[in-house]
Amino acid sequence: MVDSALSRPGQRERYDSKLAQVDWLFVGLLCALTGIGIIMLYSVGGMTWGGPGWAYKQLIFFSVCLVMMCGLSLLDLRVWLMGAYWFYGASLLLLIAVEAVGAVRMGAQRWLSIGGFTFQPSEFMKLAIVLALARFYHECSAKDANLSWKLLIPAAMIGVPATLVMHQPDLGTAVLISLTGASVMILAGLNWKIIAAAAASAPVAVFLAFQYALHDYQKKRILTFLNPEGDPSGDGYHILQSKIAMGSGGLLGKGLGLGSQSQLNFLPEKHTDFIMAAVCEELGFAGGFTIFLLYALIILMALRMASLSHSHFGRLAAAGATATFALYVLINGAMVMGMFPVVGVPMPLVSYGGSAMLMVMTGFGVVLGVKVHRYQELPRQASIFSRFE
Amino acid sequence: MAAEPSLVFTDVNERQGAFTRRVFLMGGVVAFGMFALTGRLVHLQILQGSKFQKLSAANQFNFRLVPPPRGNIFDRNGKLIAGNRPSFRVMIETNEIKNIDDTLDQVSYILPQTLTSRRRILRDINQNQRSVPTIIASDLSWEDFSKVSLYANDIPGVVADRDEMRAYYYGGAFSHVVGYVAKISQKDMDKEKGGPEGEFNLLHHPSFRIGKSGIEKAFDRDLRGTAGGKKVEVDARGRVVAEDGVGSIAPVPGKDIVLTLDADIQQRAIDVFGQESGSAVMMDIETGEVLCMTSSPGFDPNLFVSGISNDAYKLLHDYDHNPLLDKALTATYPPGSTFKTLVGLAALENGFDPKTTHTCNGVFPYGNRVFHCDDRHGTLDLHGAIVTSCDVYFYQCALAVGPDKIAAVARKFGLGQIFDIGIDGQKAGVVPDQAWKKAYFEKRQPNNTRWWPGETPSMGIGQGYTNVNALQNCVAVARLANGRKAVMPRLIKSIGGKPYKDTEFEDLPVDPAHIAFVRAAMADVTSAPGGTAARSGKLDLGPILMAGKTGTAQAHTYAAGGSRATLHLGWEKRDHAWFVAFAPADAPKYAMSVIVQHGGWGSSSAVPKAREIMRMALLKDPEIQKRIVAVNPADLVDKPISDGPDPDSAPESDPGAAPPPPDIIDNGV
Repeated sequence: MVDSALSRPGQRERYDSKLAQVDWLFVGLLCALTGIGIIMLYSVGGMTWGGPGWAYKQLIFFSVCLVMMCGLSLLDLRVWLMGAYWFYGASLLLLIAVEAVGAVRMGAQRWLSIGGFTFQPSEFMKLAIVLALARFYHECSAKDANLSWKLLIPAAMIGVPATLVMHQPDLGTAVLISLTGASVMILAGLNWKIIAAAAASAPVAVFLAFQYALHDYQKKRILTFLNPEGDPSGDGYHILQSKIAMGSGGLLGKGLGLGSQSQLNFLPEKHTDFIMAAVCEELGFAGGFTIFLLYALIILMALRMASLSHSHFGRLAAAGATATFALYVLINGAMVMGMFPVVGVPMPLVSYGGSAMLMVMTGFGVVLGVKVHRYQELPRQASIFSRFE
Repeated sequence: MAAEPSLVFTDVNERQGAFTRRVFLMGGVVAFGMFALTGRLVHLQILQGSKFQKLSAANQFNFRLVPPPRGNIFDRNGKLIAGNRPSFRVMIETNEIKNIDDTLDQVSYILPQTLTSRRRILRDINQNQRSVPTIIASDLSWEDFSKVSLYANDIPGVVADRDEMRAYYYGGAFSHVVGYVAKISQKDMDKEKGGPEGEFNLLHHPSFRIGKSGIEKAFDRDLRGTAGGKKVEVDARGRVVAEDGVGSIAPVPGKDIVLTLDADIQQRAIDVFGQESGSAVMMDIETGEVLCMTSSPGFDPNLFVSGISNDAYKLLHDYDHNPLLDKALTATYPPGSTFKTLVGLAALENGFDPKTTHTCNGVFPYGNRVFHCDDRHGTLDLHGAIVTSCDVYFYQCALAVGPDKIAAVARKFGLGQIFDIGIDGQKAGVVPDQAWKKAYFEKRQPNNTRWWPGETPSMGIGQGYTNVNALQNCVAVARLANGRKAVMPRLIKSIGGKPYKDTEFEDLPVDPAHIAFVRAAMADVTSAPGGTAARSGKLDLGPILMAGKTGTAQAHTYAAGGSRATLHLGWEKRDHAWFVAFAPADAPKYAMSVIVQHGGWGSSSAVPKAREIMRMALLKDPEIQKRIVAVNPADLVDKPISDGPDPDSAPESDPGAAPPPPDIIDNGV
């Protein structure tokens, strides 16, 4: 098998050779991770496929998303490049639409309903911002990416949707969008001085946000994070119960379906945001460590795939999508263990939820696609359409 | 994987260089992040694991306090006087409820009656500690309980369970001696401080009741028992998911108490009193066991268990017959003519010749006062004076002996004394002598500390300062009937199966011949013609006769020269009627005293009651039964209760008894 830059022209364009280029070990790791998640959903759902049916639905979601991911990985990178701004623009319009006519649920205006299908446009924005910034930097010189007035454009591209999402209000997603965008900017070669300045001014920004921009419940969550024992039956309850669940799991856990914290509902949101606590309670340190190990492998493999690309767009898109995923994992992991305020960020692939999985798997579709098309070189400027034969 | 052909030489690109460096950096940051998360996991799960395991168990398992069943109280024959009956109730656990009003609304759909008591419930919830459940309805019908049990699991914090409630099976018969239990008050709570560690929670348990009077109060700690704990698995909303039988601690039931009282006699006593006010006390003259100790009217102690309403309590409190007062122990009365037995005995002990005669023509002038008698008794000796209860004779007899010597004998027979029977509430009364008067009046009336000779005649007929309670008067007659030992009353047979303290009685330092003299006179009171209880003191039990002494104690000062009959006066001005008795007269076994507050004459009011109560005791005694059956088996059939005093009705005739005496005197003072 000689699939290399020296392969015969046309051979790389064949779907069978493209499929052979998909990193199947990586796909296997994703399946293993989601598999553990489905087993846990089966446990917290009352050890049955029926009941809330989380495990069953998650299995269906994942199967669909898996096929979709493999399909997307075969897409020519030019399609992503071409579609990046359109996708970003559409997502931004949807966010504005949410602001105008979105449904209010649980005190927040995040949902948009089209034809009986309800979704959160902010989920799309997580991927759209990555693709759009990747395209921007693809067309940008190294010098400009480092330090120039042109950088105000990506800043605005991040700032506008982040502000809109913040206003919904959805602090978790806003932070995620901002940090994702920031990672792409850094990966693209942002000047260290700007990074240092931003890091230094972050506390000030947090303070200002806390004073003027955050809602009371968001402030309360942050205060609770700082002193969780202050209100053990109210907001501190989530953090405390999560810590009790994890801590009481010990080395090998209480056994599947035997976690008292998760089975008796002491653990809040046990199938979504706090599923890691259930994992650590029932499967112990062994289970929790295995999952973290899988996440680490997946993230590092994805970053390696990103670095293989010959196109700047491919590199940034794959790395950016991976950064989103990594941010999910780190924020959720820190949150359930009481190291970060409770901000409604799920554990990707393990937490129950269709839309988050859809976007994560689409992101990995881009990553795998970048690997499959790693030798494809994309013109830096000018018409993309002219390159289509 | 085959090495990738390097294209660096064709695409040397600053951008790629920057990206490659930074993606390495990002990988490092992610690796560090995952390492930190793993470290935190180690910290939580491995290092602090045991701490969180405890917290998790504390979440999962709850110990629900299981109150111990309160000890039973039995009569001498094992009849249950006070026990526990099942009661179905609904409680809410305040600390597991977010919105109390919503929860109560939900409950009121099932139990509409809780709507009307909403204010009481909310008050109780506010008063209780948050960790203590509050009862919102108790004593539910089976249907209501089933409904609540069915729905309780859907209303968090609402618990339906079966509880035990104190029950008094004889109603008012034992209301004073056994007492009652009620909800613990803050005052009781303060007194309980310093008790055993685990007891605190029991005291706060909504079904806990504390003894408030009588045996229930005096032996509260014995009856209480020790609380247990039921280990239950609960979910986050506090609903019980499962019970863990292994981890539970069973409660230790309270100790059972067996009394010396006989429920049949007690019930008979309260029955014959009807609505009249007074007390009856009966003792076994050998053992000192109190067989009957009633105070009438009684009250239903069951009312207090779940909390008596203010209106009901006010009724009890304001009723002039004073049902809340224990007339056997707490109320003291002048002993009246029942005291003459002891005056006579004191005279004999001090060399008084029983053959001494005095003539009674109705009055006895002494000093500048005239003392009255209720009749003109003619010439009498000591025996005749006791039988006819002649005041004029005893005025002079008392003067001959003097107050100090009378008081000394009275004290030997238990008057003025508080007995250790286990319960409190006893009043000592007064046995006056010169020393007492000096001590008593020193502060009150400094110029009246001398014993005036004119005070002695009153003492001779049990009036003046002399004051006794029904128990003391019963002990006195029991000692007379016993003759050898200073019998002490005993009320409790055993506690928790262990015999209650049983002391040897001291000897009674009185000449047996003198006692025999008094007893013979007491026998004639009920059987000789002219005896004050000759008409109403017949037992109708063949050879079994009752000996006794009537008494009428002044409840107010008569107008000079006025009539001494008081039955026409208002109830509260009538005299107190006394009768002390023992039976059988020839071989005494039982002694008793009866006081009818404002009952009028002793013979007409107190004697018939004593007769009925004594009959009950005698008919229950197998040895007495044998003696009666040997003569006339028909007497074993119980007679209907005579309906209180009716001096004008014809006396009951009985083939086994002597013919009714001529109606000479029926008003023994």
